[in-house]
Amino acid sequence: MTPALQTRPDVFDTVIVGAGVMGATTALFLARGGQKVALVDRQDMFRAASGVNAGTLTLHMTRAQLIPHAIRGREMWLDSANWLGEDVGALATPGLSMAFTEAEEELLRQRARVRQDMGAPIEVVSPKEAVRIEPGVNPALRAAAYCALDGHIPTYRVGGAYARALRQAGVTIIENSPVETITPATGGGYDVRVSSRARPVHGRRIVLSTGAWLEKMLGWLGYNIPIRCLINQLVVTETLPPVMGSVLSIANGLLSLKQFANGSVLIGGGWQGEGNIHQGGTRVIPENLRGNVRLAQYVVPRLDEAQVLRVWLGLESETPDAMPLIGALTPDDDAFVVGCVHSGFTSGPYMGRLLAERILGGNPDLSAFDPTRFSTPAATGPQS
Amino acid sequence: MSSPDFSPVTVIGGGIAGATSAIALSRHGFPVTLIDEQPAAGGQIFRAPSPYARQTVPPNHEFSGGDALRQKLAASPVDVRFSTRVWGLSSTLTLDLIGPGGIDQLPPSTVVVANGATERFLPFQGWTTPRITGLAGASILMRNGGTLPGQTVVVAGSGPLLFSVAHQVLELGGKVVAIVDAGHRSDWFRLGAMLSLDPARLTQATRWMLRLRKAGIPIHHRAHISAAQETETGLLLTVSEMDHPERRHVYAAEAAACGYGLKPTTLITRTAGVQHRHDPAGGYLEPVTDAAGRTSRPDLYVTGDAAGIRGMAVARLRGLITAHAIAQDRGVISARTYETLTRAPRRQLRRLEAVSRQMLPLMNAGSAIPTHLQNETIVCRCERVKAATLRSAIEAGAEDLNQLKAWTRCGMGPCQGRMCEDSARGLLTAACGNTPEEAGSFTARMPFFPLPLTAVTGTFAYSDIPLPKAAPL
Repeated sequence: MTPALQTRPDVFDTVIVGAGVMGATTALFLARGGQKVALVDRQDMFRAASGVNAGTLTLHMTRAQLIPHAIRGREMWLDSANWLGEDVGALATPGLSMAFTEAEEELLRQRARVRQDMGAPIEVVSPKEAVRIEPGVNPALRAAAYCALDGHIPTYRVGGAYARALRQAGVTIIENSPVETITPATGGGYDVRVSSRARPVHGRRIVLSTGAWLEKMLGWLGYNIPIRCLINQLVVTETLPPVMGSVLSIANGLLSLKQFANGSVLIGGGWQGEGNIHQGGTRVIPENLRGNVRLAQYVVPRLDEAQVLRVWLGLESETPDAMPLIGALTPDDDAFVVGCVHSGFTSGPYMGRLLAERILGGNPDLSAFDPTRFSTPAATGPQS
Repeated sequence: MSSPDFSPVTVIGGGIAGATSAIALSRHGFPVTLIDEQPAAGGQIFRAPSPYARQTVPPNHEFSGGDALRQKLAASPVDVRFSTRVWGLSSTLTLDLIGPGGIDQLPPSTVVVANGATERFLPFQGWTTPRITGLAGASILMRNGGTLPGQTVVVAGSGPLLFSVAHQVLELGGKVVAIVDAGHRSDWFRLGAMLSLDPARLTQATRWMLRLRKAGIPIHHRAHISAAQETETGLLLTVSEMDHPERRHVYAAEAAACGYGLKPTTLITRTAGVQHRHDPAGGYLEPVTDAAGRTSRPDLYVTGDAAGIRGMAVARLRGLITAHAIAQDRGVISARTYETLTRAPRRQLRRLEAVSRQMLPLMNAGSAIPTHLQNETIVCRCERVKAATLRSAIEAGAEDLNQLKAWTRCGMGPCQGRMCEDSARGLLTAACGNTPEEAGSFTARMPFFPLPLTAVTGTFAYSDIPLPKAAPL
């Protein structure tokens, strides 16, 4: 650290706004690459999507084009002891996606085919074979897509592990600090004004990794990209004797089902709740709770012994083409974005590492995720 | 006066406050639904006794008062739904219910929350043995079940329930080995002076204290159970003095009953999004209400102990006043009629409030205990989270209860943190120096208690499931 930086504690090489998997991984690798990094979040770290998602590692539900990234992301999770500093409890399991009707079987085959083309080891298997792989499933299925490379993570363990790794790497963590404005500073870089500090936090460059809140912040930088906010429902049961050992889904992608080591079963799949990211607060839609849980019980009939312990909702962000935003926002290479990655938890650490690599001067292929593909920045962005 | 609005009112909780309110609301002409999880009205204090308890427990004010309340309710047009619990609610106050007929919903209505209090528990080494119960649980077992928790009992914790439970043990022929009170002896004398304002409580307290003294029961003040060890015949309990931790007393007993005062039950009010505040005297979170139980939402009222712990006599008055306030807010009665109807209860309330508020520090006397938690002690029983795990998460940067929950699973289990929240908050505020407000509360989640999965799903075919459109390829 230079003496100048010591006397000006609020100046950083990179200020990252949004402390979820993407932002925190970028922060970690930038700090390890020698940068002075600040990581800012409106609440505590890992409390939005990254802390409350279903923890599914899946190639069935990941968008086909992101399969190579998801494979690398999954490897990182399984190897977290080595690069993050502690094992977060990721478990490799088989994954099965199932079809119960003719239409679903057709969809299943189509989705399996495009994923195979992108390098996912997915094959369609007979009902008998599916029941052999996962004895817990409803034998009424017509076909299943089998993937050897799925798995799951107890999501709750991830935030604490990142917090310890980031502190060790020397990242300055600024939590419970909603960002009020981001303005270009005279002499280069950006001033990030946060509610908790009188002086703005200055970054020679910034990274936006705020998930569902990206739309507003991209607007500050002059980008007008409509970002849809999904309010995904998750249901967890009380602990049960083992009823399943793989990650299960259905052909249209609207179910994720797994049993954790402690015996609780997590039911997800993107059924929607209600809520508003600006006003805050989310609520369960009872019809969607019933639908999601019925689907789970149909797929694993022994769930009829379960008790529903808790229902919650997590926010997922999606661009108009459902492809991620990763890369530079400015020709000067001083503002970047990472987010809107479908099934982003699976590939998240890899995406964050790629962006760090890019910022540190590497040249990873991020062409498919170019954030400038939707709009070019307005001449002067509104600042509010 | 605008034209009266007689749309339905739903009362959650059939204790003294809720049942009184429901009866008064129906007299004003409102269609009233009363929901209660027990098979009969009465709440905690007026809980309907089992037939066995009616034979074994000497006749008392709680039985007769409860019977009178149940008769009045039965004679009223209130639509009662017993053995029914609220497991969730929407932003418009649609209530999700589960009862004898399975899952049901009640359309939006004006809601009166009268779901009373929850006992505060503070853990110690070995507390998870089944021989240790809460004070409230022990009281229900004895008063309503006619059964002792053990022949010999150590009664520990804080607040008036301590002496009530000790008295109940004697009444059923059991032996109280010791009374361990977190409060200061002088706190009780101060309360005694105040009780002249509440003669009914004074008489009862004097009777209890005389009987306990006559039985020669050792009473430790400023003390708490610091460890429990199971033996073949029962428990060995270590009692530590708060101001002299080196002074220890060991008692053998078949059972221990332990509780550190009451706190309002806030799952429903927090989910409904009304304003809450931390009451420093009570050491708990309570919904912000006016004297009539109005909250920051015009369609939601809170009455009885759910609005702040004040006890049975206040609960009845509050229930009555809330009902009249709703009648006034709905244009059924004029402001002047409201004044007339509530003049006497409001005057009584003011007098009793002073005494009740004096009880709060007594109930909260154990607030410093969590800071002395041993690392090996389990704080969250549901998820078996130890104090050491919480302390290391706090060291890693968890600064509020929800971050602590996310990182350790403390409070994620079936009880939603009812047992561990106070001690987790105590650890947080002691370690980070933040206030109880900053430490916050565990986010309330639906369902409020575990639901059988089949109650949610019911009978269905695959084609009944409204599958949303497929996720992007």
